[in-house]
Amino acid sequence: MPASGQKTPSLFANYDLGGFFDEMFEAPGVPRPHYAKLFQTLASLDPKQFVERRKIADLSFLLQGITFTVYSDGAGAERLFPFDLIPRIIPHVEWQRVERGLAQRVVALNHFLQDIYGAQRILADKRIPRSLVYSCKHFYREMVGLSVPRGIYSHISGIDLIRDSKSGEYLVLEDNVRTPSGVSYVLENRLIMTRTLPEAFEAYGVLPVNHYPTELCRILRSLSPRGGGQAEAVLLTPGIYNSAYFEHSFLAQQMGIELVEGRDLIVDDTVVYMKTIHGLRRVDVIYRRVDDDFLDALVFRSDSLMGVPGLMGAYRAGNVALANAVGNGVADDKAVYAYVPDFIRYYLGEEPILGSVPTYLCSRGSDLSYVLDHLPELVVKAVGESGGYGMLIGPASDKATIAQFRERVLADPRNYIAQPLIGLSRVPSYDSTLERVGGRHVDLRPYCLYDGENVTVVPGGLTRVALREGSVVVNSSQGGGSKDTWVLREEV
Amino acid sequence: MLSRIADSLFWLSRYMERAEDTARILDVNYHMLLEESDRFYRLRWDPLLVMAGEEARFRTLYDEANAHTVFEFLAFRQDNPNSILQCIAKARENARTIRDRLSREMWEDINGLYHAVNEFDTRRELAAGPHRFCDLVKFGAHRFHGVTDATVPHDEGWQFLRIGCHLERAEMTARLVDVQYQYLFENPQLAGQADNHQWMAVLKSVGAYEAYRRKYYAQIEPQHVADMLILHPLHPRSIRFSITEVQSGLRALSNTLPGSYSNEAERQTGKVLEALRYDRIEEIFQRGLHAYLSDLLGSSLCIGEQIARTYFYYKASA
Repeated sequence: MPASGQKTPSLFANYDLGGFFDEMFEAPGVPRPHYAKLFQTLASLDPKQFVERRKIADLSFLLQGITFTVYSDGAGAERLFPFDLIPRIIPHVEWQRVERGLAQRVVALNHFLQDIYGAQRILADKRIPRSLVYSCKHFYREMVGLSVPRGIYSHISGIDLIRDSKSGEYLVLEDNVRTPSGVSYVLENRLIMTRTLPEAFEAYGVLPVNHYPTELCRILRSLSPRGGGQAEAVLLTPGIYNSAYFEHSFLAQQMGIELVEGRDLIVDDTVVYMKTIHGLRRVDVIYRRVDDDFLDALVFRSDSLMGVPGLMGAYRAGNVALANAVGNGVADDKAVYAYVPDFIRYYLGEEPILGSVPTYLCSRGSDLSYVLDHLPELVVKAVGESGGYGMLIGPASDKATIAQFRERVLADPRNYIAQPLIGLSRVPSYDSTLERVGGRHVDLRPYCLYDGENVTVVPGGLTRVALREGSVVVNSSQGGGSKDTWVLREEV
Repeated sequence: MLSRIADSLFWLSRYMERAEDTARILDVNYHMLLEESDRFYRLRWDPLLVMAGEEARFRTLYDEANAHTVFEFLAFRQDNPNSILQCIAKARENARTIRDRLSREMWEDINGLYHAVNEFDTRRELAAGPHRFCDLVKFGAHRFHGVTDATVPHDEGWQFLRIGCHLERAEMTARLVDVQYQYLFENPQLAGQADNHQWMAVLKSVGAYEAYRRKYYAQIEPQHVADMLILHPLHPRSIRFSITEVQSGLRALSNTLPGSYSNEAERQTGKVLEALRYDRIEEIFQRGLHAYLSDLLGSSLCIGEQIARTYFYYKASA
């Protein structure tokens, strides 16, 4: 509760819950038990001091070059991904349930990929329409019948979660099993947080996150098709102009593996080599951050300069492992999303632990007419897109935009799904325009690693926050930022 | 190590050295020229441009070489690919493509220097003179060497940094001595007292002034200066010292023993170095300093090319 007799107004002056599920406060001025100590620390901090700390944090990000490039004025301005100093806290027990739910989902998705590119039992049993699977933008016929090392498709997954703005329940918003990014921010945010606001950690036991690169490296090396403990793993990046380049170099460095571009690799007689100063050297495992379509100009897009000609041949011959596997996009297609709870029941014989958002498939006649009648209330998404592209947020759009989107849906119903607008929970965040703390909407992307037997989830994950007042768009291109996310070691 | 990474390390280091050398030449000569009498004022800005190897480009951009234009051109111009700002930007760009191979400290240092030089208000600096700016660059480069040596293993990658830096330094020193000497040669009326300043500036721009004083005391003789900058075995900016570093780096890469060579780059380096070891400055002057230094610059270019052929380039297919 606010300290009485304060002279300077606290950071939390006029804090308004706004009728949303607020992760810090259960009632105005009453923090939830696991936030109580953090609230005390922050409320007793002079706002000027807080602003000073923010500057230090920003400077650290700038110096480390944790920036993304915006090419609007032709010059390519470098911008910081805004970091909010107020951490998000998840209690231990709450996290354990989320973790089990994520593990369950990751395993089920991997089963689905194995099945769809293998025996296709699920299609024979008619648990998902064949036409829906085959019409996925990211379903690759080239992958059918290809056996991937140790049967693992989704080594690295980022499962986006939201918390319902009324109940606070965790819901899966979407799956990312192609090349999910952002984990470097989780690690860097933590590092900078411990440097800038060390006193906040004092009252808490926070689970560490920095074992991620070690675990990822272990999994990558375990995929090597060459025997005798030989495992040369590399990270394949599109290069420095890619917006996630910082992450690529960061992970390669943390894992101690080579960061390569397509031009550094060459395929000879279905074996992949890299060009070193002492000649060619064999490559066994590629953690690729290049999209499927650009991997191999001989098989996919012939205009791609980012990939390695002949790579798919080497993959098919079993001479190189790719993480993640090619063709994973069929599992995180937004229409297939509606069937994931069924996958869990079908492959694992379990009930889903985490809820998901009700989804209307425009490819189904009855769903389509409902969607067309309720466009102003719904969120409509193109199925094969990610990163917030090709989306309509009905309640926030004007009539003209809605009418335009209606035409697009009608022209290609298979390409769209719709969901009710689920409000996002809020966490207090500093608003530099208002110069005080306000409730801002957040989502959460935990990162899951799968080694074929166990799923390791980094405690917490990347909390993205819509820093603009009232905004629900957390994407960095639209005023989104991030927060350090704490999972507590034990109950408070 | 990937060839592309070796290539980037080599150029990262070269550009850093080029930025430092340009800053040194600019800083020292700028202040020296301000002390000079008006008669020589306009005349003497030209050698600075020749030293930087950018006289022709300068002429396309400016009508007149003076304190203002030369400073702006060498320090800030975007359209001078070898301006200090551009060198630092390119050093950082190279670092960015291989930042996983650099220590965190190295990257933060280069990146910090890049942001620091870009924050300079060009117009204000032009009015205030180049000292503050050049000092920042000079010490930025020193810090880069210090941080590098102290935070990364002295493995193959480090050898490429070492080779790049010293090859660049050898060329810069060769040009500096050459230009200064030619100028004196072409203007014999300048010989004598006044030129003490000029040669003092040469020594200062490579940070060898104090060392020279200790060795030769008061007298500043062009021949002694040339001796020091070309043949001194231990001064870190002499050509001989720099080429020795290049050779050590190359040998460390290929594990070649002294007295032999395993590629064309090593053979060329060995040849140049033998001459630098056994030539006397009197002999060099007899044969003609300009011709000697021109040959040296040619060899250095050739060494750079051979390094690229040996370590960086691959044919299009295996």
